Amino acid sequence: MSVQEKFSAIRKGLLEFLILKIIASDKVYVADMLSRLSVTEFKTQEGTLYPLLSKLRREGLVEYEWQESDAGPPRKYYELTARGKSQLAELTAYWKDINATINQLGR
Amino acid sequence: MQKVITINLNGNAYQLEETAYGLLRTYLDGAELQLKGNPDVAEIISDLEQAVADKCNRVLGAQKTVVTTAEVKQIIDEMGPVEGTAAEPKSEKQERPRSDTTAPKRLYQIRDGAMLSGVCKGLAAYLGVDVTIVRIVFVVLAALTKGAFVIVYLVLMCVIPHATTSEERAAAHGQPFNAQELIDEAKRSYAGFTNSRQWRRHWRRQQREWRRYAPPTAWRFWGPPPIAPVGYAGQVFAGIMMPLLTVARTAAFWIWLCVLASLFSTNALFGWPIPDGIPFWAALLISLFAYCFVAWPLDAARRSSIWALGAPRYGWFSAWDGLLGLVLSALCLWLAWEFVPEVHDFLDNMPTVRANIQNLLRGL
Repeated sequence: MSVQEKFSAIRKGLLEFLILKIIASDKVYVADMLSRLSVTEFKTQEGTLYPLLSKLRREGLVEYEWQESDAGPPRKYYELTARGKSQLAELTAYWKDINATINQLGR
Repeated sequence: MQKVITINLNGNAYQLEETAYGLLRTYLDGAELQLKGNPDVAEIISDLEQAVADKCNRVLGAQKTVVTTAEVKQIIDEMGPVEGTAAEPKSEKQERPRSDTTAPKRLYQIRDGAMLSGVCKGLAAYLGVDVTIVRIVFVVLAALTKGAFVIVYLVLMCVIPHATTSEERAAAHGQPFNAQELIDEAKRSYAGFTNSRQWRRHWRRQQREWRRYAPPTAWRFWGPPPIAPVGYAGQVFAGIMMPLLTVARTAAFWIWLCVLASLFSTNALFGWPIPDGIPFWAALLISLFAYCFVAWPLDAARRSSIWALGAPRYGWFSAWDGLLGLVLSALCLWLAWEFVPEVHDFLDNMPTVRANIQNLLRGL
């Protein structure tokens, strides 16, 4: 089992957190998110992202608005809601705890 | 050269090759299936369609108006599989009644709670009436026809397949079969197992059944592979064929016996003398080979029929099969005794027969 396979479940679990982070930094649409993720270990495809975004929206963490684009049809631009921002803060804090634990434990 | 199909992706027309259309259709249908129960399924699908449309735009141009199969393959690869996110329990409950698709209703025998074989229970489930009414009708009909109707029951018992799997049981009642119902059913029957003695008894029976299901190894040579799924029509066909094959098989056996008797008592085959060149033992061997030649395929077909009807009930079927063979044999004996003079001759000629056998042994 390669390192990548060993961490595949963790990468999957972290995806929601990362999407919230990306959306927090700027108003983005799906192709933007994909292209930003594509250069990282968290390379993702539309098939995964759209259902995830729909779930986040149902949970009231993100919201979108339609914006005209100069090329082609209007796009959905996502942004964080107030709840999404507080959720992101919590997740970030928790992630820092995890990181600290990893650094402390063992060698 | 391929036919081109024009499709509407989120409000814009795109031209796709026929196979490309098939691929895309499969992908989107699969996505819809994955997202079943998700309240936003329509929106997600339209988002996916838009994404596909964007990717199509990338490959299309002024000189290129049709998306090819290879390109659609590439696009679907880029999109990746659609993963269903766990829907909220509430929406799942709303979803469930909608999963009622039209389920085929079929006539099966239902073993659980049956008095004899489950014919009445299956009929009751099929007709949607209480099983007691069907049983009363059967008893009344049997009484009215002085018992002749029992034969109808026996025939139905042979011909109608048994509902063994949960799917078949659901089909017997005309209910749709899905995993959720299976789970509910399992939960219900588990709740009924409060009595631990009952549970132990069930467990012992289950173990006995498992041991019995292990097919005899010799069967593997001519029988179909163990537990081959057989369709409804196949099971009905097997139900009709099995008794017929048994009749043919028994007949073959008795004809061979008659041949032997005839050979031993008269040194001839029903009045035809054995040709000069062929010794007596060769004639016996030839008759044996002829018998095997006829009996072997009949046996194989009979075994397949029993398998088709359901290996788990193999014991029942072989008992029924054996009984039928026995009755037929008795009938043959009686008929032979009454109407075939050779049988009397055979018994009268016992000394000759003994002499023939002794001759044969001395010859060896």
